[in-house]
Amino acid sequence: MYQYDAIDQQLVEERVAQFRDQTRRYLNKELSDQEFLPLRLQNGLYVQRYAPMLRIAIPYGMLSSAQLRKLADISCRYDRSYGHFSTRQNLQLNWPKIEDVPDILAELAQVQMHAVQTSGNCIRNTTTDQYAGVISDEIVDPRPYCELIRQWSTFHPEFAFLPRKFKIAVNATESADRAATQVHDIGLHIKKNDAGEIGFKVIVGGGLGRTPMVGVTISEFIPRMDLLTYLDAIIRVYNQQGRRDNKYKARIKILVKALGIEEFRNRVEAEWQHLRGKESTVPMSEFERLQSFFSEPNYNALENNPASLTSKLADSAGFARWFERNTFEHKKAGYRIVTLTLKKAGQAPGDATAEQMHKAADLADRFSFGELRVSHEQNLVLADVRQDQLVELWDAAKEAGFATPTLGLLTDMICCPGGDFCALANAKSIPIAAQIQETFNDLDYLYDLGNIDLNISGCMNACGHHHVGNIGILGVDKKGEEFYQISIGGASGHDASIGKILGPSFAQEEISSVIQKLMNVYVENRYEDERFIDTYRRVGITPFKEAAYAKAN
Amino acid sequence: MPKLIKNGEIIENQYHWLQEAEQEVTATSIVAAQKWLTEKDTMTGIAGIWLEAGDGVEFLEGVDLTQFDVIGVHFPAFTDGRGFSYARLLRERLNYQGEIRALGNFIPDQLGYLLRVGFNSFQFNESVDLEKALLLHKSFSIAYQGDVSEPRPLFLRR
Repeated sequence: MYQYDAIDQQLVEERVAQFRDQTRRYLNKELSDQEFLPLRLQNGLYVQRYAPMLRIAIPYGMLSSAQLRKLADISCRYDRSYGHFSTRQNLQLNWPKIEDVPDILAELAQVQMHAVQTSGNCIRNTTTDQYAGVISDEIVDPRPYCELIRQWSTFHPEFAFLPRKFKIAVNATESADRAATQVHDIGLHIKKNDAGEIGFKVIVGGGLGRTPMVGVTISEFIPRMDLLTYLDAIIRVYNQQGRRDNKYKARIKILVKALGIEEFRNRVEAEWQHLRGKESTVPMSEFERLQSFFSEPNYNALENNPASLTSKLADSAGFARWFERNTFEHKKAGYRIVTLTLKKAGQAPGDATAEQMHKAADLADRFSFGELRVSHEQNLVLADVRQDQLVELWDAAKEAGFATPTLGLLTDMICCPGGDFCALANAKSIPIAAQIQETFNDLDYLYDLGNIDLNISGCMNACGHHHVGNIGILGVDKKGEEFYQISIGGASGHDASIGKILGPSFAQEEISSVIQKLMNVYVENRYEDERFIDTYRRVGITPFKEAAYAKAN
Repeated sequence: MPKLIKNGEIIENQYHWLQEAEQEVTATSIVAAQKWLTEKDTMTGIAGIWLEAGDGVEFLEGVDLTQFDVIGVHFPAFTDGRGFSYARLLRERLNYQGEIRALGNFIPDQLGYLLRVGFNSFQFNESVDLEKALLLHKSFSIAYQGDVSEPRPLFLRR
């Protein structure tokens, strides 16, 4: 993974010093709440319902075991010994003290980490596929490009006070989009053109929140050397022309929609003509430098399906289940990608205790070259596990609560912290996740239902991505009481779509039974191997709606 | 007259920022760009113009900017970042060499970014302690991106 040189290190240390001074002036009342607000947000610090929340960047999801141990250690010494992995590959601490945050940032800097621009109206952490670099059908490894974007966006002098937050995600494979790129402000799809040159299809104006939209293509192919000038052009147009009078209409999607993609594209092209070919054009030497950090680890020459694996698959249904659901094909023979799920019943989705973080770090050292990734679905990934060590890893993962074999299934939910923590939330989301986990605890049934994305957000801000869940649950406030609106038909992959609202919202205790009714409709209507989303797309919303609102007789 | 920070020093402010349309225009006036645009044929010998957020800089293409000693950029709120693009475009696109002055509600903690996009003078609100603001002039000693003072990104110098 990327290693800081003296310059990268100096920058994060100067940032810590800057924020330490800002915090000191705030606590001395030299900076007002209003002035401190964007400064702290650009260092990941929110003030939440009960306590501040600190969002730590995990750039494009890459973590070393040493970094994860540091996070565990920080969570013990400055928080309540756990953290929450978010959909954008960050880690959130829910109970730090404001006055401790400069020290936390200083500790992060010791392991080449930071909380830079994890919030605020600026360019946020760039995200990508958690399987980057280890899958066979990838066009190229997206991580060097993510690092390029990270450096370009970090302390970008022109774009620190945009109309609204700005999120970029990168995909590098035709077969899947695991980073939900089409619901980002900019989605980048790595492509190779007919001449074999690497570039990007650029999608703009996607986003969730109050006005969910799937992005539209602004360019089919931008050569990689021109990436940064093209991004500068898009964001310069947005910075000047995006709405600033209403925060709910300030995302780039609203500008793109208002102008139409043709006109928006014309404006970006006009701007780009001034920038293209100038100093920010990326030279080959920089691509080579960045790629050098993501060279392959020292893989052994191994065969696929070693005897120790095949015999265990035959002997143990539990292991076979875990293998089928929670591991993924690796580009190297004899290796497998393993997801350590953070979706154990009784634990909030995406939460990990400090002890679990230490255990995951240990597993990374033992089984996966000391590296991990954080996924959009709020799980951890060991990318390079020998197939002949899978049984050993499974045993250890079970013990640590990482082996719930439900990856991609109904109970592998995406869930925001909700009203238990978040000041913005209208309703709690964690108890909904818990209720669903308790109700749908029969693995055979879950397997029979197959791949279903269920996403839960506690409010319209949609941190739990409810719009793009096959089933989306949104917490709403109805005269001071917490209710839940259910939508179906959303998707976040290459077939991205926004879900449709089923109808009037439901009380908290009704949710599981409504989900059950939706599942019954699916099971009755599906063709043999048809996924929930495909059945929905074929039969439409009506049968689901009728079942959900049918009077009990 | 209030003081301002210019080129890294606290100095006397020699110009007047005319915020109201009816104020008298003199040789030391910084006049609203829109006002200047409609009255420019009769308005001579002013110190310069100032841009409101939303004005953009396109209307200055083809204008001889050497007639202005100063161009101001107004920040209606410090969170309104349009002025960052305006200053950069004035320098890089329109090749303006004179003083670019930040006006309005920007805050000392933005000095680093403001300097990098081409501002060289800062007319702070009166409540700001300029001596303390000067300390924030340079929080960072290096940057990844190119900017007005160093157009080459770090990757060309690394």
